[in-house]
Amino acid sequence: MTMSRYLTPQKISLLVLVNLYCDSAPSTATIPILSFILSHIIPPTPSNARARHSHPEYQDVSFSIRAFEDVLQGHASNMPGRTLLDVFLKQMWEINSFDALHNLFSNLGDLLVRTREDGEGEAAATDRIFLSRTSPLGAFVRRARLEFMRLQFHDAMKLWGAFINYRAPTAQWTKRVAVQASSGIDIVAADMGLGPEDDLFQVAYGHLDDEDANGEAISIDDFDRLLEFQLDQLQRLGCRVPDDMREQLHNMLGPSGVVLRQSHLVKFFDAWKAGDYTSAFDNLHRYYDYAMQSREKIHYQYALLHMAILQADFGNFGEAIAAINETIATARENQDMTCLNFSLSWLNHMSKAYPKQMKGAGYMGMLGSERDGLTFLKAKAKETKMYNLLSATLLNEAKLCMATGESIPRALEYMYQASHLNVRENISNYGGQMLLQSTLYSRLGIMHLSSVYCELLLHCYKDSSPVDEQIRAICRCAFAATQSGRYTDALSLLEKIDSSSHRTLKFHQYIFHCTGLIKLRRAIRRTDWVACDHLLSSLKPDSSTDPELTFLLSSARIDYLIARGRYPDAFNSIEDLSLSLKEEGADVLQRISMLIAKAKLSAVVGKPERGFSVALRAASVAFKTRLMPLLWTAVGLLSNILNSIGEFGAAGRLLDAVIPQTIEHTDFSLTAPLYAYLGDSYMGLAGLEDVSTSNGARERAKKVSMAEVYIDRARECYRRIEDVEMECEHLMKKAILAKLRGDEMLAEEWSQNHNRRWDECKERIGEE
Amino acid sequence: MGTLSASEEAQIKAYLQDAVLSCTERCLYQSAKWAAELLNSLSTYDDSGSDTEVDSPMSDARPPPTPTPLVPKDPTEQRLEAREAHKFLLAKTYFDCREYDRCAAVFLPSALPEGALHTSSSPATKSRQSVKGKAKAGTPSKVKSVMDVVHGLSQKALFLALYAKYLAGEKRKDEESEMILGPQDGGVMMNKELTGISAILEEWFDNLPTSGRQAQGWLEYLYGVVLAKGKNEKDAIEFFIQSVHYYAYNWGAWQELSSLLGTVEELTAIASRLPQNLMSFIFHVHASQELYQANEQAHTSLSQILSIFPTSTFLKTQRALLYYHTKDFDEAEQIFSDLLKTDPHRIDSLDNYSNILYVMDQKPKLAFLAQLATATDKFRPETCCVVGNYYSAKSEHEKAVMYFRRALTLDRNFLSAWTLMGHEFVEMKNTHAAIESYRRAVDVNRKDYRAWYGLGQTYEVLEMHSYALFYHQRAAALRPYDPKMWMAVGLCFGKVGKYANGIRAYKRALVAGSYYDAGVGSSFGSGETGLGGGILDPDVLYQIALLYERLNDMPECAAYMELVLAQEEGPEIDEFGGEVVGGVGVTPTTSKARLWLARWEYMRGMFQKAMELANELCQDGVEVEDAKALVRDIRARIERERGGG
Repeated sequence: MTMSRYLTPQKISLLVLVNLYCDSAPSTATIPILSFILSHIIPPTPSNARARHSHPEYQDVSFSIRAFEDVLQGHASNMPGRTLLDVFLKQMWEINSFDALHNLFSNLGDLLVRTREDGEGEAAATDRIFLSRTSPLGAFVRRARLEFMRLQFHDAMKLWGAFINYRAPTAQWTKRVAVQASSGIDIVAADMGLGPEDDLFQVAYGHLDDEDANGEAISIDDFDRLLEFQLDQLQRLGCRVPDDMREQLHNMLGPSGVVLRQSHLVKFFDAWKAGDYTSAFDNLHRYYDYAMQSREKIHYQYALLHMAILQADFGNFGEAIAAINETIATARENQDMTCLNFSLSWLNHMSKAYPKQMKGAGYMGMLGSERDGLTFLKAKAKETKMYNLLSATLLNEAKLCMATGESIPRALEYMYQASHLNVRENISNYGGQMLLQSTLYSRLGIMHLSSVYCELLLHCYKDSSPVDEQIRAICRCAFAATQSGRYTDALSLLEKIDSSSHRTLKFHQYIFHCTGLIKLRRAIRRTDWVACDHLLSSLKPDSSTDPELTFLLSSARIDYLIARGRYPDAFNSIEDLSLSLKEEGADVLQRISMLIAKAKLSAVVGKPERGFSVALRAASVAFKTRLMPLLWTAVGLLSNILNSIGEFGAAGRLLDAVIPQTIEHTDFSLTAPLYAYLGDSYMGLAGLEDVSTSNGARERAKKVSMAEVYIDRARECYRRIEDVEMECEHLMKKAILAKLRGDEMLAEEWSQNHNRRWDECKERIGEE
Repeated sequence: MGTLSASEEAQIKAYLQDAVLSCTERCLYQSAKWAAELLNSLSTYDDSGSDTEVDSPMSDARPPPTPTPLVPKDPTEQRLEAREAHKFLLAKTYFDCREYDRCAAVFLPSALPEGALHTSSSPATKSRQSVKGKAKAGTPSKVKSVMDVVHGLSQKALFLALYAKYLAGEKRKDEESEMILGPQDGGVMMNKELTGISAILEEWFDNLPTSGRQAQGWLEYLYGVVLAKGKNEKDAIEFFIQSVHYYAYNWGAWQELSSLLGTVEELTAIASRLPQNLMSFIFHVHASQELYQANEQAHTSLSQILSIFPTSTFLKTQRALLYYHTKDFDEAEQIFSDLLKTDPHRIDSLDNYSNILYVMDQKPKLAFLAQLATATDKFRPETCCVVGNYYSAKSEHEKAVMYFRRALTLDRNFLSAWTLMGHEFVEMKNTHAAIESYRRAVDVNRKDYRAWYGLGQTYEVLEMHSYALFYHQRAAALRPYDPKMWMAVGLCFGKVGKYANGIRAYKRALVAGSYYDAGVGSSFGSGETGLGGGILDPDVLYQIALLYERLNDMPECAAYMELVLAQEEGPEIDEFGGEVVGGVGVTPTTSKARLWLARWEYMRGMFQKAMELANELCQDGVEVEDAKALVRDIRARIERERGGG
């Protein structure tokens, strides 16, 4: 059977209800009835002002007749003793033949306000309500009438049959209706004395029973709206079609033989998100082939744009660039500013996100330098009032500011501008802004604010922001938890992500990498080399991985190499990575991290002085660009160098200055070495004291105990982050200190502690 | 006719059974269907065995009566048929797959002679020779070879081949005619196969006396059809009569014959030449119905046949149509409704039923009927007509036209669709299209009075009264007892200034009207026809009066005006024994007549009478203003006269 274009039994019932309303419904019921009708005839506008769940019934285009019961039961009609439901059902059952249905439609015109041509003279303005032609109800009524006029007879017949089926359950609802309904579904048949067992009746209505199984009465118009909604969800949230929904869609489409263009688009998005490159392509082409057929060429550039995004998403940058170039050319030709600006913005974004790949694919930059590009886009966006683009560009500009290490206030200013725009123009770009803000604060070393922004995003804007951003926020929270050593918390956070996200390949990969990264870090600290090898082999980044994650993975790998004592390899890796970062003009944070890694390496190999210049440079740049965590690390390394050349006092002073800030940052992996260095400084200072004098001996004892305090603190930090090796090292230090004091018993105890701890850890690894 | 004896009945059964088989073999499906329906509606059909027992072993004991002893076969034909049996099966399957050309090519060489050919040199001996050496094809002339082939065929094979050829031509004609009412539609396209077929058949019939073969009636039927298509109607009738003489149970031949009869006189003229059997009796009933002879005799004949075939849907339909012609819609509706119940999947003549419902303004039932028909088969011209009628009743004329068009696309010769489409075009004020539609309807069937009447109406709309007069006269000739037709004629006469003729036409309308009025009810024919008998149509009377006024025959005019007034009360009760409820009451027409009378009396100086009438007018509340003015005038005159007197 084919689908009807617009009219469904539901719509007929709504028309009956509109009739009822126009016949002066009692005032108490007016608002509920009107809102019920409107919620079904007007597609909801996607807005954030209203929460989406405020009209849940919209989702269900094929609502059952029960919905009418729920709405109407509670209201009394102007006939005493009868509810509106009674009146409604009475009218429903008064449609007792196809002719009556026809009359319902042909009389719809009476509901409308008389126009001048119709003759205004009729003063029949009693207590009836007349609908304006342009009011929502008027438009609905007129559309319904028009659609009915357009129906061929057998389609009208089908509608009539569907209506009978739809109405059938109400026959026994009330006594009054039961009496009315007892005459059967068709008064003509009843007049002829036909019962359901008669042959003639079977000819006319026999098919109704078969259609019961079909159930869903849904028109193309409804289906259109349904698909529109699906598309909106897919495009906005970037998720996939849920399984049960897909099943339903399939069922609706399957038997009807009607194929709507949008359904191809839905399939395209679904396949794309599922990582099914071939069918995504296939469906994209199919959709635009059909789109061409129905409309002008205007779809062409959008087809290209989609293709470019798709290609890039699957890592085929060469094709993507070719496609986007053509998109831009076509958009220019067609004067489609929206498309043009969007393409340029996307291109800009891509060249930043995947600089190496884009260069490799031969992208030379469309708009000159990056800053020029952004300025151009900003101007264009303002010109064409594309606030969405403007907001995104402002955020990009802020990002650029941060990446190049420019002034933080300016970045903040851009962000606030974007935020202002979001609020004023009601752009749902909050996700990006929140994430960027959180990044900014983490770079400034205010970890808890950073986490707060992530959580804000998750709690307040979850429904309106893309799944992608949600996952990023969760991962960031997980990383924050790792910093303070709460690995299990972090992993459980990641595990708690809705399993449906895993159905999208990109998200799955992202989550997989994050989980792997956290596990790898833990494994390195726990010296669980088997796990490390295993994780490292499975976490090879490729060209389509998120660039940020690629960097984190590489640095984790360097950490691993250092921890395993494969220093030459580590050194080579650092060199390679810093070289490539320099080439692609990467984020200043990443480049400083490499400097620090180099300095750390020289410290680990026992020649900290070698890393002096590197560490100093790192510190100065980090200070200039306000990358506080890096600054603190660099300062720690510097003080270590100072320690190694015997400048214990200076080292101590430096460390005293930074440690309080790092504690605020709550990154134990950062704080622990600082405490350790401080302990070293005090030990060094203690060694400088002249023990011959009593004062000196006292001072030394005091400094040694200070050192012990800091060593204890460092040990505590290392314990928290489960860095076994360092923890044991500090237990050793404690033992040595005890020995130094001459307390052999205590020293023995500490060394036993050390051994026990070490064994414990090894055992745990073995168990796991 | 009375009841039949058992043997007669068995004979009829055998004949009908044979007719079904023969028609099916020759792919005359409609005739076969008709015969089969009739066969199954025999009164004692149910007695001979109930359906439930078919599978029981008992049924083996009673073999079906074989028709062979009753319907003798021609040995020559049987021999020929036996020889080409396989080829015949092939041809028939092609025909059933609607591959007409291929079917014809099984028996006939593809190139048929063009035009008439006169090869009288093929006596029986020669044909037998060619039968043996058909494959040689060594005969000198091509035409000769074709004829040789033809003579070598059995009549059955020849009929099938030529019939396929004919249908192929019809199909091609329809295809080339393109859109309904398009530029190619209407007489432009001809069936190009006709000449070839008629040439062969002509030759065949020329040789018939010498060839020693016995005519079977089928080829005659086909030749009749071809001749009728070629507008050679006299000869066509001859061949149809021959055909039914040879084979009486081919309903198609009877039907074609009745469609060629334009008037009752023609029917009576040929009646004596027809074979006297059951079929000709049925034909007679059918033809009288087609010619709107809905009189007592038709009903009694029908009842007689119905007593033999009590459940025949065809005959019941004829009965309903008779009632329809006499405007007894309730009876007709009842019959159709019962038919529908007994045979729900039947679509035949549902269009007539829908016409009845349309006239009765039973829209819900019309919708139901449309629903039924659509559920059974959307693409039957009858169905489309029913749906079109429904939309017409709902004043959706565009959609109605769409459905009538569809009906015509399915069957260009579907008469009622043409007429109904004409009506719709009139409603849509598209007079040219309306005229064309009506014209096509009339071309298809010259007996369709509604189309003639519609044509007249349309021309009246165009203010071409003298032209319209012709059509109205045709309609009135077809329906002499329909007052509407005569009124239209009268109106036209009045418009063109022939008042005397107009008056005569109106008087005919009065006669016809009272005839029908009396005819309603059981006392058929007993009603006295004539002026002043029953209730007369006041409108007609008024029109007559107006025409007399034109002729300046004032007393006559006044008399008719009085008659108009008289209709308000109706005839005296005792004359009809309370059967007639009363007069028409006060209508705009009677009021107009009253006003005229009042003025006339006033002019004559009969003020008292005029006053009375004017006051009556005021009471009735019609034309009050004029009446009051008149009253004032009368008072003034009376005053003045008193003053003067």
